[in-house]
Amino acid sequence: MGFNTRDALSEFWASTISKLGVALIILLFAISAYVLISYPTNFGTQFWNRPQHWADNPKSVPPTWVQYFTSVQKPKHQILETDFYTERNRGIRTLEFTVSFNYRADELPQFTSFSISKLTHWADPPIIRLNLERPDGKKIEDLLVIPIPYPSGNYTPPIVKYVESPYRVFLPGSSAVHNAISSFLRKEFDNIAVTPLEVAASGPEKYIFGVPDSEGSFKDILKGRYELEVVVETFDDRDTVESVKFVVGGKVYGFMGTDVLGRDLSVGLLFGFPVALFIGFITSTITTVIGAVMGITSGYMGGKLDTLIQRISDILNNLPQLPILIFLVFILGQNIWNIIGVLIFFGWSGLTILIRSMVLQAKEEQFIEASVAVGASSRWIMARHIFPQVAPFIFTQMIFYTPAAILAEAALSFLGLGDPSLPTWGQILERGYRSGAIFLGYWWWIVPPGLLIVLTALCFVFIAQGLEPVVNPRLRRMR
Amino acid sequence: MLLQISDLYMSYLTIRGEVRAVDGINLSLESGEALGIVGESGCGKTSLSLGITRLLPENVSTFKGSIVLQGQELMGIPRDRFRREVNWKKISMVFQGAMNSLNPVVKVGPQVAEPLIIHMGMKKEHAKPKVIEIFETVGLPEETYDRYPHELSGGMKQRVVIAMALILNPPLIILDEPTSALDVSIQAQTMNLLKRLKKERHIGMIFITHDIALSSDISDKMAVMYGGHIVEMGSAEQVILSPKHPYTQKLLASTPRLRSFSQPDFIPGAPPDLVNPPTGCNFHPRCHMAMDICRERDPPTCYPEEGQRVECWLYGDKDE
Repeated sequence: MGFNTRDALSEFWASTISKLGVALIILLFAISAYVLISYPTNFGTQFWNRPQHWADNPKSVPPTWVQYFTSVQKPKHQILETDFYTERNRGIRTLEFTVSFNYRADELPQFTSFSISKLTHWADPPIIRLNLERPDGKKIEDLLVIPIPYPSGNYTPPIVKYVESPYRVFLPGSSAVHNAISSFLRKEFDNIAVTPLEVAASGPEKYIFGVPDSEGSFKDILKGRYELEVVVETFDDRDTVESVKFVVGGKVYGFMGTDVLGRDLSVGLLFGFPVALFIGFITSTITTVIGAVMGITSGYMGGKLDTLIQRISDILNNLPQLPILIFLVFILGQNIWNIIGVLIFFGWSGLTILIRSMVLQAKEEQFIEASVAVGASSRWIMARHIFPQVAPFIFTQMIFYTPAAILAEAALSFLGLGDPSLPTWGQILERGYRSGAIFLGYWWWIVPPGLLIVLTALCFVFIAQGLEPVVNPRLRRMR
Repeated sequence: MLLQISDLYMSYLTIRGEVRAVDGINLSLESGEALGIVGESGCGKTSLSLGITRLLPENVSTFKGSIVLQGQELMGIPRDRFRREVNWKKISMVFQGAMNSLNPVVKVGPQVAEPLIIHMGMKKEHAKPKVIEIFETVGLPEETYDRYPHELSGGMKQRVVIAMALILNPPLIILDEPTSALDVSIQAQTMNLLKRLKKERHIGMIFITHDIALSSDISDKMAVMYGGHIVEMGSAEQVILSPKHPYTQKLLASTPRLRSFSQPDFIPGAPPDLVNPPTGCNFHPRCHMAMDICRERDPPTCYPEEGQRVECWLYGDKDE
């Protein structure tokens, strides 16, 4: 490029705004690099958009750090998983797992669930029983009894089950649990009779984690150490269960909370970084390259080619973009490449018109004529003599176009036209909006993706602002 | 014979009509010889040079005649081959205003190296020693290579441009007002450089200017152009010391002289409109010696002296 690179850099570095921009962009890149290294490539399809993956998470809960702003101690999310068991023989062979946990929150957990993974049986399927011992010494016997169903049709042992996705029971939804609680209450607290239906209506957690007051209503939380015993009664000595899991669903989760499917928003938001940068950079680079090549060719070659390029640009430039974007993405399919392609298709024309007008002026310079006299080809002249004249302008345009592309993708995603295999900030916003997060006050679902979009756009604007004093004298000269 | 141009016609199409900028020109040049072409603005000097180098503007409507360079006819060569084989290799050019002939955003060294890269397929780093060598020839220091044009003085830029014209060692250089944007002392330096190069390298030069004095300094032959015609051509001495055409006489008389009491003369009227040239001799409306025949018939080509050629009825046979 024409100007002295070192001077240009020091000029750029002199302003605070460009330092801020550079710091932000380094941060964006660092996060993106981390995500690219640590996330699987099929994150979108295999994890983010697969509800089973998030089944153990609490739904629509705020981030953990909101605790610091309230006096009420909300339950933390606890996943208690163990693969350690002791084998006993009391008439029949049993495998016994034990998990214990502390419960110190002031509120009930959002839910409780139990799951087992990879069960192998050779003869009749085992029966699984859950016993829960509470801090007050009372024990809920047979809180849950799971008769593993027989396999259908003919089978040859061993039967291996629940490998891909575990067998999961949500305690609030299980009538067996309701019955167990009802009989537990009748047995342990003399004057309290609660029907299974009432348990179902209020949720079993109220009684599991609660103690009755003098009037017999369960308002207080029983804090302390709970111990869950999982007994697997087997009918063959070779039967195994790999692991069991008990989840005490929290009312706060992670660093960014969860959405209505229980997805950890911090994971999705992080994944949005590389996707946003990717969309921004690919789109802006290709757009400016096409725009510049078209503009320079159009301006320098002139004639019919010029007319053709300019008329196409005029048409593209004057079509209303958003409706056509929606239309095209709808027709072509919601694929990230289609979105990028459509953005490029409509992006280059404006730059082409601008560049052409600058080239028209630049090509009248005598050194261009001199170069023609030297015998340089048109391509050589365009690359060596015309391009450097407009390069600073093209460069700033590229930086300006990056946030524009990111915002355009966010807009499309928000309209539900994003690529479903790649979670983006726009899509997270869209899901939040669709799920009524705004009306329900789930701010942690709406604010962070919005802020991140703005922040990313801002970062590029800062850099472009910082570059302006560097390239402006030249721009002024050429305009 | 280095260059032989015969019956060269060139005209532009404008909204007003066809402009006959070069209207039947004949001239010849030997190697190591400098031909000065003088004439007022719009007489076709620059059009002639553009015609020779085939840098035709888009609106050229007629371009015919014969240009033979070193025995090779250039007119029939297709444009692309001309660009590759003739431009700069055979004929290079120094443009008006050296400062504008250099790309402000590219260092001068690589710019001078461009012909080597384009025509010889050289790599930039191999071209560098050749560029520095040619810089030495024109009296530029080696470090000029890494300078931008704005870091050089006018005279240095002029040398850079001349160096660029020399780099492929072409047999013919066309200099189109090479010194018009320079002050007098730099002009003198540049002229001395050109004279030295002409002698050392045995290059043919076509020196286009409106400054007769400057032209006479370097030229062996001189041609005076008026309205697309060469009205007078001869050795520099003949044209300066015994001009035959009334236009040449008036032109010389209009030059102010030091230590002379006579006022410089002037030429009345305006240059001819080349869309609608006057009938007969182009110059007759301004000519103080115009005769009736001048208004009616094109002037004949006459040879009043050995090696001197004039297009004027004063020296022709009017009865023919």
